[in-house]
Amino acid sequence: MTFKLFVFIILFALSSNGFGQSITGVVVDQEQQPLIGATILELGTQNGTVTDINGRFQLISKTEIKKLIISFTGFKTDTVAANLTEPMRITLEENVSELGEVVVKASATFLDPLESKHIEIITEAELNKAACCNLSESFETNASVDVSYTDAVSGAKTIRMLGLDGRYVQINRENTPHIRGLIGRYGLGYIPGTWIQSIDVGKGSGTIVNGYESMTGQLNVELKKPENSETLYLNSYANSFGRIEVNANHARDLSDQWSTAFLLHADYFGSEIDQNDDGFLDLPKSRQFNLMNRYKFMGDRLRSQIGIQVMRDEKAGGQLGYGFGDDFQTSGPYGFMNRTTRVEVFGKTGVLFPHKPYKGWGFIYSGSYTDIDAGFGRNEYLGTEKTGYINSIYQNVLGNSFHQYKAGASFLIDDFEEIYADSAFSRQEVVPGIYFEYAYLPGEKFSFIAGSRVDFHNLYGKLYSPRVHTRYQLSDQTSIRIAVGRGYRVANPVIESSNVLVSSRQLVIHEAPEPEVSWNLGGSLVTNLKLGGEDLNLVFDYFYTTFENQLIYDVDQSSDNLFIYNINGNSYAHSFQVESKYALSQFIELKAAYKLYHVKTTIAGRLQEVPFVSRDRFFFNASYATKYDRWKADVTVHWYGSKRLPDTSDKPIELRRQTQSPDYFHINAQVSRGYRWGSIYLGSENLFGFTQDDPIIDPGNPFGENFDASIVWGPILGRMIYAGVKYKIKRVNN
Amino acid sequence: MKTLKSLILVVLALSCYQTSAQQEPVKVAGGNKVEIKTSAVCNMCKEAIEYDLAFEKGVKSAELDVPSKIVTVVYNPKKTDANKIRKRIAKVGYHADNVKRDSLAYEKLPFCCKDGEHEGEHDR
Repeated sequence: MTFKLFVFIILFALSSNGFGQSITGVVVDQEQQPLIGATILELGTQNGTVTDINGRFQLISKTEIKKLIISFTGFKTDTVAANLTEPMRITLEENVSELGEVVVKASATFLDPLESKHIEIITEAELNKAACCNLSESFETNASVDVSYTDAVSGAKTIRMLGLDGRYVQINRENTPHIRGLIGRYGLGYIPGTWIQSIDVGKGSGTIVNGYESMTGQLNVELKKPENSETLYLNSYANSFGRIEVNANHARDLSDQWSTAFLLHADYFGSEIDQNDDGFLDLPKSRQFNLMNRYKFMGDRLRSQIGIQVMRDEKAGGQLGYGFGDDFQTSGPYGFMNRTTRVEVFGKTGVLFPHKPYKGWGFIYSGSYTDIDAGFGRNEYLGTEKTGYINSIYQNVLGNSFHQYKAGASFLIDDFEEIYADSAFSRQEVVPGIYFEYAYLPGEKFSFIAGSRVDFHNLYGKLYSPRVHTRYQLSDQTSIRIAVGRGYRVANPVIESSNVLVSSRQLVIHEAPEPEVSWNLGGSLVTNLKLGGEDLNLVFDYFYTTFENQLIYDVDQSSDNLFIYNINGNSYAHSFQVESKYALSQFIELKAAYKLYHVKTTIAGRLQEVPFVSRDRFFFNASYATKYDRWKADVTVHWYGSKRLPDTSDKPIELRRQTQSPDYFHINAQVSRGYRWGSIYLGSENLFGFTQDDPIIDPGNPFGENFDASIVWGPILGRMIYAGVKYKIKRVNN
Repeated sequence: MKTLKSLILVVLALSCYQTSAQQEPVKVAGGNKVEIKTSAVCNMCKEAIEYDLAFEKGVKSAELDVPSKIVTVVYNPKKTDANKIRKRIAKVGYHADNVKRDSLAYEKLPFCCKDGEHEGEHDR
């Protein structure tokens, strides 16, 4: 009796003292190491706790605890039934890299399901669908990024996102701002396709961690890594126009912790191709040498890498007979040339904290020197850029892993010297900046990221760029994402308008360019439906970009000039896209997308459609791949709707152009056969050979007042056939 | 007692016989099917064998079941035979029925794919 009473008193004391229940336990990883800072949450409530230094926790609740959610960055979140009678032992599984899992499947593009931002990841398998020579051709089978030729002479390709020029996309190489400044226009050609491991395509405003320049999107290119790339990867390529290309990658371990990779690329194209008989080369002669070497150290607490890239690219285009090294200022034939030399040293150092994967400190740096020597007809362009960039990032949790943050500081120094015709431009940007990004990650259903940075620009004052991203999972199969943010960039008007300089137009810069500032708001809805037993994946997205300031490259006011000025009026872009993906069978995958752009800007005091943008676009890709890509075949169809063309009404009547381009199809196809040692491939670009008629206005008088090679809306080259071989020696990991 | 001993012997002998026995190919839709017992211990081994056989002349499909270590191969009998497939698996570094693995290839296998002391640890 006394015993019973004693128990009763104890129980009563406990319940009144602890207000209910108490659960204790320990959270460990698969190696039975305790996890420090893991979050334990009572299901359906805000009641939670964090594991201590020994991985132990105690959770007290007023109500009856039934289930617990255990989460930890880098590990799979687990839900377990609460055990009130004895201490619990919870083992969390590490998150295996999703990239590795997806590569073997037919689907080669995927959307990171837990990421708050709308980020598509293009894997190497997707890149292999087109034997892409460089980054500009890597988006061939991707619906979100548009690629087109900029003019009829330089052969340069440019990308567009959300209906706007690629200069508003921040292009990073391994999270370091890369294609910007003077290489903004041609830089996509300076990253060889065989160097690329994967590309993240982020639509809408991106993270503030990498700077303020992400206005319509963020591309991040991951290159082949020293620690896991093939021991040897050789690729040689040739096409029916006479372009040849060789690539060689080599990676090896130097010790348990050190590894290195050499990436080498060389290409040569020296033929004179003039299919439309206008006396102009349809594609410039070109040669490039590109080498990268980097070293990586992977320790338990420290990871570090340093690398160097040396690149020399030369193009010679214009009229037939103009070749490498000819003096464009005196040569008989009209000449276009561009000789770019670039050296870059870059690196990263990261400090890790064992058993605290959420905590880390990273330091990113790069320094580059770029020299451009170019000629457009009789006009010479000389430009140099010296850039130094550092970024220090610290990341940690606030209390538990539901609340994470990144804080850091960056410093950019960018020194430009440019000379074009009789004008000289020079500026030095010194931009220190600080930023903070908070992420609320309570589980798989919901996430929220808010960040802001402030940069102290020596020329333009304080630049604020706030960004917010959120993701909500409506059901197992459906999630929505919303993002809003502000971005900036400082333009380099001469080099950015180099596609227009291949004309008789005089460059007129009315006023000092101000930074371009935009707001981007948008979101996406991703859903999976069952159709005939297979998943039909649907992605709807809409983004709206509006400019506070934009630099206008006005080719409408007069066909004798290119006016460059800060906008005086509205400028906006609506972009809507629906994309569907369906696996017809284990081997066949179909992808289709429709895009609607509504892009208007104030040109010459009037709000009008931006030239060279198709209002409607359609994309279709069918791919067939057997297991391990023994056989692989791909067909991609692009349909481009009509585009508005610049006003040419002040030209002599016989030289005027239509105000709208016709619509057209562009079809690419490729077949490849895999072997144990690699693969051989055969493909065609522009299979049906559709080309723009008379891309150049008055090609017979290139030094005359009506010449214009910048009104290009479609392909200039007809059908191209290519073939190549890839040879690989796999890395043996021990 | 003696009968028990001999019974055990018989059972042992039978089980030995069963494991070392090579299964004969059977006709299925699309070619011949053969089940080959390998020394694969983990998913990486499965990947390595299936990858290699995917590029073997005449092989239509290959699927390895890690718990039983048996790889089921469907092949075109006009282009290859079961023995050629066993030799190919041996070349990757694994025993295939009674064909012994290539010791050089075995040495090059990733740590987790080697049997011995840590066998079982990676059986998942």
